Amino acid sequence: MSKRPHDMGGEAAGPIDTVDHGMKFWEKRANALRNTLTSGKVIRLDELRRAAEDLGPRYYELEYFQRTTEALRRVLIEHGYFTEAELAAKMAEVRRRYDAA
Amino acid sequence: MKHHDHDHSHDPSFDDGPPSEHEIMSRAIQELLEAKGIISGEQLRRRMEQFDTDFPQRGARVIAHAWLDADFRQRLLADGKRACAEWGIDLEADRLIALENTPRVHNVIVCTLCSCYPRALLGMPPTWYKSENYRRRVVREPRAVLREFGTVIADDVEVRVHDSNADMRYVVVPMRPAGTEGWSEERLASIITRDALVGVSVPKP
Amino acid sequence: MTLPSAYSEARTRRFNVGERVRVKLAFPPGHRRTPVYVRGKSGIVERVCGAFANPEELAYGFDGEPKRVLYRVRFRQRELWPGYAGAESDHLELEIYEHWLEPA
Repeated sequence: MSKRPHDMGGEAAGPIDTVDHGMKFWEKRANALRNTLTSGKVIRLDELRRAAEDLGPRYYELEYFQRTTEALRRVLIEHGYFTEAELAAKMAEVRRRYDAA
Repeated sequence: MKHHDHDHSHDPSFDDGPPSEHEIMSRAIQELLEAKGIISGEQLRRRMEQFDTDFPQRGARVIAHAWLDADFRQRLLADGKRACAEWGIDLEADRLIALENTPRVHNVIVCTLCSCYPRALLGMPPTWYKSENYRRRVVREPRAVLREFGTVIADDVEVRVHDSNADMRYVVVPMRPAGTEGWSEERLASIITRDALVGVSVPKP
Repeated sequence: MTLPSAYSEARTRRFNVGERVRVKLAFPPGHRRTPVYVRGKSGIVERVCGAFANPEELAYGFDGEPKRVLYRVRFRQRELWPGYAGAESDHLELEIYEHWLEPA
């Protein structure tokens, strides 16, 4: 029986890092983005959770806001808000802007 | 990963070093949606401010008020969202169950499946709450986990774990510690930590 | 203005507070909000939370109607985990949708 990667309650694990490391600026903005989209009912939180779970083994390789971002991308593409190609083009443009600064 | 206070007159992303793939992806998604009029930069800025300065202050104030006002406390325990709303705090989509710590019961909260948390009451969850090890272990060995936070619960006190796995959100109402007699609501709020509201620690005067 | 209560009574429901229920031992694919660690376990209904759109459907773009009744169920930790190291009186509570529950 295979579990989806998020369903981890009760598994053996090591010590907890009990320090709150807070959020980087881009993570705060990513959080605001997710929250604005779900409270505005553009997408459902349930869809985002499902998309994160569908990451499979990559779920464990990504950090929290990396997962959130990948899930957002998947669901927004499903809804037709943009295509993979449009996203790739925009990412290249954003990257050029950062490199130029 | 320190918290930076950013000057918003320039793109503050530069302050954190070269942007990661996902930072770029997140920014790109944001700009695509802004261009299509789905969201606005102003909405995001307002949200960020709410999460930074507004939401994190609310939980301690609500619990301090419950400590001082027995009638409010009962209403909070009966229906968390309604009690907050009547007191002027809008929890938006969150339905709230307030869990009372007693000399017989200590409550602790987790979301094993993701990171459900009463964000409109407490702000963003701490990184440990979202961590895989907390999500894995606190349901199965809560007392050992609490010890890692420096909290020891006596054997004759029940440790009750709440997995917020569906539509409810939770906050712990800690016991008011001795040595706080005559304190103002503001002073009481100052010792009610976020960690105590999740249940991994208790307030100390 | 009437605000929705955290646990308004659902109009028709199968189980009542205090009743013993068992969580289905089932492993359907896709998005579920019933963690594997409680499947097949039995506990007591602690409260009726109300009726909500089904997250298993919402996750795929459906409206999740008709709403499903959501219960909080309380489990003894000693019954959930072999060799549980805490106190006899320790419990765990979480929310289970009606279609995941059977009479115990």
